[in-house]
Amino acid sequence: MNEMQTIDPDWAWQPFEPTSQRPWDRSLAAHLYRRSGFGADLARIDQAVMRTPAEVVSELISNNQETPDFRSTADSLAEATLAGGDPAKLSAAWVYRLLYTPNQLLEKMTLFWHGHFATGAEKVNDARMMWNQNQLLREHALGDFGRLVHQISADPAMLIYLDSAKNRKAHPNENFARELMELFCLGEGNYGETDVLELARCFTGWEIKNKKFRKNRYQHDSGIKSVLQQRGDFDGDDGVRIVLEQPATQTFIARKLYRFFVSEERSPTDALLQPLANLFRESDLQIAPVVERILGSNLFFSSNSVACRIKSPVELVMGMLRSLHATTNTQLVGRGLKNIGQGLFYPPNVKGWDGGRAWINSSTLLGRANLIADILENEATRFDGGSLSECLDRREVQTPDQAIRYFEQCLLSVPLDDATRIQIQESVESISGDTERQMRAILHALTSLPICQLA
Amino acid sequence: MLVSMNQSRRRFLQSSIGGAAAIGVGAAMPACFADAATAGNQEQERILVVVQLSGGNDGLNTVVPYADDHYRSARPKLAIPISDVLKLDDDTGLHPSIRGMHDLLQDGQFVAVRGVGYERPNRSHFESMDIWHTCRRKNEPRPDGWLGRFMDQQPESAGGDVPALHLGHESQPAAIASTSIRVPTVKTLAEFQLHGNDKQALRELLQTNRPVKPTQDNELLDFLQSSTTSAIAASQRVSEAAAGYRSDVTYPKTELGNKLRVVAQLIDAGLTTRVYYIQHDGFDTHAQQTETHSILLRQWSDAVTALIRDLDAHDHGKRVCVMTFSEFGRRVSENASEGTDHGAAGPMFLCGGGVKAGIVGKRPDLTDLQDGDLKHEFDFRQVYASVLQSWLGADPTAILGKDYQPLPLFG
Repeated sequence: MNEMQTIDPDWAWQPFEPTSQRPWDRSLAAHLYRRSGFGADLARIDQAVMRTPAEVVSELISNNQETPDFRSTADSLAEATLAGGDPAKLSAAWVYRLLYTPNQLLEKMTLFWHGHFATGAEKVNDARMMWNQNQLLREHALGDFGRLVHQISADPAMLIYLDSAKNRKAHPNENFARELMELFCLGEGNYGETDVLELARCFTGWEIKNKKFRKNRYQHDSGIKSVLQQRGDFDGDDGVRIVLEQPATQTFIARKLYRFFVSEERSPTDALLQPLANLFRESDLQIAPVVERILGSNLFFSSNSVACRIKSPVELVMGMLRSLHATTNTQLVGRGLKNIGQGLFYPPNVKGWDGGRAWINSSTLLGRANLIADILENEATRFDGGSLSECLDRREVQTPDQAIRYFEQCLLSVPLDDATRIQIQESVESISGDTERQMRAILHALTSLPICQLA
Repeated sequence: MLVSMNQSRRRFLQSSIGGAAAIGVGAAMPACFADAATAGNQEQERILVVVQLSGGNDGLNTVVPYADDHYRSARPKLAIPISDVLKLDDDTGLHPSIRGMHDLLQDGQFVAVRGVGYERPNRSHFESMDIWHTCRRKNEPRPDGWLGRFMDQQPESAGGDVPALHLGHESQPAAIASTSIRVPTVKTLAEFQLHGNDKQALRELLQTNRPVKPTQDNELLDFLQSSTTSAIAASQRVSEAAAGYRSDVTYPKTELGNKLRVVAQLIDAGLTTRVYYIQHDGFDTHAQQTETHSILLRQWSDAVTALIRDLDAHDHGKRVCVMTFSEFGRRVSENASEGTDHGAAGPMFLCGGGVKAGIVGKRPDLTDLQDGDLKHEFDFRQVYASVLQSWLGADPTAILGKDYQPLPLFG
């Protein structure tokens, strides 16, 4: 807390200028790729080092829509899953995108919004609805926050999840109105209980009929409401507009983006967030400018950010796979992620994933090591189309020591200590006749280490 | 009865010693088991099992004021029909799904405390749950939970078992957060083992308690390292502990039933863990409540009853108390979706051989509401204070922040 107060907000969000103490090198480029997406291989990292950080960030931001080719491939695979109707299998369709997308930041932001507008497939129990919501999140992931909130307010999966599929004049349903303010836009303390009741009246008549959103004017309460100091015969769209107009909105979202991209450890002061909040409001709640400012900033590349987050399960697994051009059984990954606390389409509750230290306990730590083991042993797993040792050999990585250093550069945010390095090397000496098994054992060990759980 | 406990204890110790000897590491039996073999008095320590009903349990339809006309008029669709209520007296009864609890009450092993809540009730699930977990409001610092503070008070047990265990897939409840002790989460016993070709080498690598180099002054890395060490240690202890469990009680084949069976195994194995924490989710019944609520209550009642019966059969019944709570009750009037919205005060439940059975607290007054919700008669910290003082033998004032009048809940 105290440390946070000493950070100068102006310095924090200015464009990062590399210095001799903090040069733009492999380590910082890898940091950028891990945080803005899931990770890159060493060749990509080296290309980034040849350019300026601002150029690399600007390229990440400008890739804000999928190419039509990728989209149609990913969608047709999802359609095959949807035909089965089982939402549990939908996770695998998303894993495919996480694994193959050329737009890593877009996908990372889609995951961010899924945690923000958390909706669980267990309750919605309709794969198509969940998928449509996912596409909605992706469409606006780096777009207009206001439009996203308006559309999510009429999203069938969301309204079913929050028991707001029926909302009658005589009995306004408070649930969506409350969460819109508490969890989606303003945060607790920025509204009163009366605002919840009055805002709920605005949404009366909004309902889901035959799996579609509609406004039932016979159930709409057309009387005067008083919401957040504004009075009028508001409907739901007015209600969303009034909530979005609150100054708490820009600070609330800036804080959440800070937690997602920079650090979940210490709570940033409002003063530190103010430049981001101002930018968000001045950009009419456009998301991309704020994300670009964060990813290109002094603070993002400083010791207040590097190694100051814990990898989510998706970040751990996708980081390992993407840095080695690996492909695997997407169903296995989808199930495995759920098992260690980040089921795609299965957030724990309407608040989404708590993140940070909450990812970590005895069960999930063992689960992380075990999921990596299961992936490495799965027959569908390929590295650059072949075995791990072949993949590494093409990158001139042949010995255990070279392999440890290679993985270290892609996957770790702080250098490995020598004692651990030696212990890993010694542990694979007995299997030196089998290079493939050696390399897999090294990768398994490295990804299971506490240090590899740091993002 | 004491014999059976000692037998099971001996069986467990023998099996773990035998297992160790069989793979040629007889001398390397973990220190905790050696301690357990000598620490006989630990067996008398009392245990608390917390069952959290997440989402806000409808207390009015759990302990039912069935003869109250206001209840029927507020709940034209959701009131429990009089003929279905498990009647306790002329105006109070239990939901028909919790016959197990009804039987426990007849056996002197169930107490319900009605009207439990707190001042200025918060109707957000998360905020209200945080209040129950930490006993602090949002504007106060809350680095730990009430059970975490209880654990902090306990003398350090060198090489002993973890002081508390959370069973489930959910993130850890703040109630067991402690600033000094990390509580493990366990899902099933089988999952709690490393896999893979290199698991032995990996276990050794992860077990090493490596001092962090001063140059890497990273609190988060310290946290990850100590969490990893404790994960490996707990995994070994827990999986060995439950190996030889036998029981004649049939647990319901539900998630909660499975979890509570694991609790019984661990208790019977002689772990010195004092607190077990389990969540039972789904009580946020805004719509079509009747069926859902009935299923959830049955799952809870059947599983807890099975646990109590099983513990009795293994002679642990007198030293285990199961405490059930929810973050709030629900609105007195039903909504238009045949459900109920977030409310305020509700009942808490304690089960086990040590409780003073009965129904504590007045019949709720449905004509004296605040914003449509029940007012509380007892602060939840009064129940915590009773549990801490009379059951766990701790000083409640230090844990709860101030004096709360305990209730007569234990015999």
